[in-house]
Amino acid sequence: MAFLHKLSKASSVAGARLIRRLSNVPENTVYGGPKPQTPNQRMTLNQLKQKYKKGEPITVVTAYDYPSAVHLDTAGIDICLVGDSASMVVHGHDTTLPISLDEMLVHCRAVARGATRPLLVGDLPFGTYETSTSQAVDTAVRVLKEGGMDAIKLEGGSPSRITAAKAIVEAGIAVIGHVGLTPQAISVLGGFRPQGRNVASAVKVVETAMALQEAGCFSVVLECVPAPVAAATTFALQIPTIGIGAGPFCSGQVLVYHDLLGMLQHPHHAKVTPKFCKQYARVGDLINKALLEYKEEVANGSFPGPSHTPYKMNPKDEDAFTKELQKMGLDRAASAATKAAAEPEKTNTEQ
Amino acid sequence: MAFLTKLSKTSSLSRACLSRCMSHVPENTVYGGPTPQTTDRRVTLNQLKQKYKKGELITVVTAYDYPSAVHLDIVGIDICLVGDSASMVVHGHDTTLPISLEEMLVHCRAVARGAKRPLLVGDLPFGTYETSTSQAVDTAVKVLKEGAMDAIKLEGGSPARITAAKAIVEAGIAVIGHVGLTPQAISVLGGFRPQGKNVSSAIKVVETAMALQEVGCFSVVLECVPAPVAAAATSALQIPTIGIGAGPFCSGQVLVYHDLLGMLQHPHHAKVTPKFCKQYARVGDVINKALLDYKEEVTNGSFPGPSHSPYKMNDNEVNGFYKELEKMGLNKAASAATAAAEKMSTAQGPDVEKSQK
Repeated sequence: MAFLHKLSKASSVAGARLIRRLSNVPENTVYGGPKPQTPNQRMTLNQLKQKYKKGEPITVVTAYDYPSAVHLDTAGIDICLVGDSASMVVHGHDTTLPISLDEMLVHCRAVARGATRPLLVGDLPFGTYETSTSQAVDTAVRVLKEGGMDAIKLEGGSPSRITAAKAIVEAGIAVIGHVGLTPQAISVLGGFRPQGRNVASAVKVVETAMALQEAGCFSVVLECVPAPVAAATTFALQIPTIGIGAGPFCSGQVLVYHDLLGMLQHPHHAKVTPKFCKQYARVGDLINKALLEYKEEVANGSFPGPSHTPYKMNPKDEDAFTKELQKMGLDRAASAATKAAAEPEKTNTEQ
Repeated sequence: MAFLTKLSKTSSLSRACLSRCMSHVPENTVYGGPTPQTTDRRVTLNQLKQKYKKGELITVVTAYDYPSAVHLDIVGIDICLVGDSASMVVHGHDTTLPISLEEMLVHCRAVARGAKRPLLVGDLPFGTYETSTSQAVDTAVKVLKEGAMDAIKLEGGSPARITAAKAIVEAGIAVIGHVGLTPQAISVLGGFRPQGKNVSSAIKVVETAMALQEVGCFSVVLECVPAPVAAAATSALQIPTIGIGAGPFCSGQVLVYHDLLGMLQHPHHAKVTPKFCKQYARVGDVINKALLDYKEEVTNGSFPGPSHSPYKMNDNEVNGFYKELEKMGLNKAASAATAAAEKMSTAQGPDVEKSQK
């Protein structure tokens, strides 16, 4: 459960009830009857289930910090995933393997501060849940306790992963499974390679997804599999599938924030955007242009102009200041101060 | 010193010299004669000094992660500051106080991976250098050793801070001072309030800047002071001043990445941009629109279309898959699979059946 206890500023609920960001506050559910679905409440598992039953696609985007979380909240994205993709897009590594649990928890907390409406899901990073079932439960507990998340996601469909998922659910933590291309396993997969392209692999995708459902997962991510495989899996399950590079037949879609925004796109340094990812903007180009303009304006002295130089001294103080400086023997400084006071737009030519 | 030992891909130095991102590799400076100022080398203290002497203004922007560092590098910003402003713009706190040294080091390392050319400066966060001079030196050492920065910045001009700055310089670590509004001190300042607005406060700004120069700082940041005060301080020093909210008479300027890009600007949730900061873009608006488009397209089923569904199975495999599913009793899944395969091939046209292996 999210730990955010801030009072909602725009609450319209009767005074007797605190509005929290928790979606399952006892007063509301036990004592207060059916909850009103106000727009300021966090997305619940039940609401997701309703969407799925009605055939409404579920939207998921990754976020790693406060501003991106705020953006997802503002746009009304259903699920905010704090992905271990942070390892690549935030920390600049080539794989998702290097990121530690402590680093993930920092990302989780920052996101929790920013996103009050989307369901918050935290990835279990590589190396924090494979050693034993108890390690997996410990890690999942930390992601909720210290990370402020609502649920966790773990990768893989091997028997020990299924057992781990089951134990985590039994510990009371909602779990999203993840099959197909599981980036933490690129060592055995031999790289970021699509899965499910032959019969055996395709059947395995379906079977492991079903096993994860059996273990109690409320959803399964399908990554980089052919569309027919994703379609079959989606139809074989009674829980929503969230696809990425898996075609249009899933119950929902997920994309990485930086990829969908074209955050790093610039001709001189184009980070490869995966081919299944659509760029909905070219933020990288915008950033590049803005920074060039800032650099230009600083270099030619036009920034900061008067409208960005808001702090003033009143003239009496300016005079006294100049006199003090002269007393200290800083004559050049004194005249610089007088000049600055008199001609606020002139750029400094004396150093 | 930066710990980046990756070979530069576009180095044009002779084979005998490893091109590193360090600006003062022994072979280059001791054995190789004067270092060529190629564009792929990291900015050095000396280059900054040359800019300052020639009256060329120095540009500084903050960065907190790999992508922002890459952007600063591409554009050729002089100094990349890993600021404790991360506490507010990345972590969503209301002040710079909560961020820990461990968190700052994570930011520093991510930035170091992305920015090869700008000089890298790491802020010492609140609570990591005020207790004692040795604590200050320890923290500064970590920022360089574990954070891979080239230099550090610390706030304040009290005698204890000046002593700390001196000790850090003596430990061999370049230091940028910071006077005027020092955000870590909002407790005593009573908020984010401009400084130097009366005579004694203004004099104090000049004096502390000079004291910081005296102990070996190579630059001083002036934050939120009136322009005449910044002009006086700049004139009184022989090291560059970097201004923020301090008017146009400093030797350079610094702004926070998210502020200058309008990263959080959206009418429904406008994070207040400081009045001294110019927004060079409205990235927040662009992000909002892009996310709404994505949400729309997922909801109406148009994303992913054929061009974003690249992974195929050939017909044999699809048939085999179908049979397997039927054997498993998953008839609905089986027909979903064949229906999907058909839809994908009609959507893409007949020329898509190339070998996808």
